Amino acid sequence: MHPSIRLSASARVHKPLINFIGKRKWPSTPERPHAHPAAPAEFKASFTTNFLKKFEASASPASKPAAAASSGKSSGVNVSSVETYTEFWDAPSRYWNPKIRELEEREIDAISTGGASLR
Amino acid sequence: MLQAQRSSQRVVARRLRESSVQLGRWQSQRSYASSSEPYDAVIIGGGPGGYVAAIKAAQLGLRTACIEKRGALGGTCLNVGCIPSKSLLNNSHLYHQAQHDFAKRGIDVPEVKLNLDQMLKAKEQSVTALTKGIETLFKQNKVDYIKGTASFLSSNKLSVALNDGGSTEVEGKNIVIATGSEVAPFPGGGIVIDEQQIVSSTGALELTKVPEKMVVIGGGIIGLEMGSVWSRLGAQVTVVEFLGAIGGVGIDEEVAKQFQRILGKQGMKFMLNTKVLSAEKKDGKVFIKTEAAKGGKEDTLEADVVLVSVGRRPVTEGLNLDKIGVEVDNKGRIVIDDQYNTTVQGIKCIGDVTFGPMLAHKAEEEGIAAAEYLKSGHGHVNYNAIPSVVYTYPEVAWVGKTEQELKAVGVQYKIGKFPFAANSRAKTNLDTEGQVKFLTEKETDRILGVHIIGPNAGEMIAEAVLAIEYGASAEDIARTSHAHPTLSEAFKEAAMAAYQKAIHF
Repeated sequence: MHPSIRLSASARVHKPLINFIGKRKWPSTPERPHAHPAAPAEFKASFTTNFLKKFEASASPASKPAAAASSGKSSGVNVSSVETYTEFWDAPSRYWNPKIRELEEREIDAISTGGASLR
Repeated sequence: MLQAQRSSQRVVARRLRESSVQLGRWQSQRSYASSSEPYDAVIIGGGPGGYVAAIKAAQLGLRTACIEKRGALGGTCLNVGCIPSKSLLNNSHLYHQAQHDFAKRGIDVPEVKLNLDQMLKAKEQSVTALTKGIETLFKQNKVDYIKGTASFLSSNKLSVALNDGGSTEVEGKNIVIATGSEVAPFPGGGIVIDEQQIVSSTGALELTKVPEKMVVIGGGIIGLEMGSVWSRLGAQVTVVEFLGAIGGVGIDEEVAKQFQRILGKQGMKFMLNTKVLSAEKKDGKVFIKTEAAKGGKEDTLEADVVLVSVGRRPVTEGLNLDKIGVEVDNKGRIVIDDQYNTTVQGIKCIGDVTFGPMLAHKAEEEGIAAAEYLKSGHGHVNYNAIPSVVYTYPEVAWVGKTEQELKAVGVQYKIGKFPFAANSRAKTNLDTEGQVKFLTEKETDRILGVHIIGPNAGEMIAEAVLAIEYGASAEDIARTSHAHPTLSEAFKEAAMAAYQKAIHF
């Protein structure tokens, strides 16, 4: 089926509105929060003056994206080289989760029984 | 804090010295209590929003726990909502077909009898299989499942009253509230639900015999679905609705009228613009007093069972939200932003307990997005592309805007309709009631809304959701091949009607 040149020239070409948008890639910085699309109008109107104010006043590093939170330090002025942390898990894990060798059941028994369990 | 940590390590070392039995006990406590390793994400609630958020968070590499008080995962939807009602809808439809429809299809069945016990058992089996399935998914994805009731001690610490007795504390860098919703009581408290004669949707799933007369208060999705079930099984069902149309929020007016006409033909009665005043139990019956919504003559209906389906309300009781400063609006919904943050940093909220329609699939989308926001600070839910489905027979489904909404905001639109009566597959199935209706923007042909009433509408609407999500035009759909003979050809033809003209109508 080959349309004549005249016909094909006069025919309207359909331009799809759907486009291939490819694999999703998020930007490296988190988005800024906005009012929820399904929130009532009064909440949308007062989002910056009401919600954001309360949200920012409740500051805690825990609210950062988990990946970022794992290296979260307290914000504010950097006093000399001492780093302070609001929560212990914000500190490097070596401080609160030291890599010690887990004791085996056999060893615990040995300690508990004063070595008797090894005989 | 670090010092406290070291001291807890010394305690650990001392306990290790004590005995191996004690070590085992300590470890089982430590798996929930989190003095040394807080979870990256703790989800309160194991419904469609909560369990999906938990699995997604775990898949994204976050150490995750999910706390659920029901003792079974899946929330209202799986346990006493969407799933058991669909089981009854499907099986009651088959029963009704066997009774009233088989003969004209050339199938003679000498005697069709209802075995309600077995029908309820089949419903229970599907519920159990699905809830157990989620537990398996939790194990596969390494989500810690805590059976208990959570309440906030601080913005990152929860106290959990365990279902098996005792309590524990759970600490999370992030906490997601997904506690869902519950049946709303009748306004004013004039009608008390006893789940025997005056039932909610939960009790309506467990009636042990078919009532002779049933009154449904509220003509929304739940009332119509459960009313349909018991109507097909033999009850005389009357739906009393305060508003002037059935179908609930978001249904297109034209579709609502058509829907009411079809259900009316099936035997359901409707009293619209009618207010229920009271329900009184007497001599094994319930007497429901009504009057016209705008005031006027009173009437009394008699029923064996009354279903109160006037809506649902968010569940936040016992969470201690006021203690930690999480804001709640005047409808009891937790106030959030578009990233599901509550007014307290570190606490997010999704699903029925916050803004938006109370739909399981909406909660699921939010569960995925909330987990992604936790991980990366980005997520996506398109609230213009959340479908609604009424699983009656025929089904009703819609997505996007209604004609009334478009008129209200002054959008110029075009309509494309195609009736199932003109669809070859619907004709061969002897199932021709209903239509597909497209609403498109006049200037661009972009699809703004799709409303379907007819066989398989609940499945067919997925194509419309995809189209709206990606900004398709009616012509995009119309130029896409749809297999013949299928019901989905009606969808394509309605798109053709919207941008030019249908072929078969």
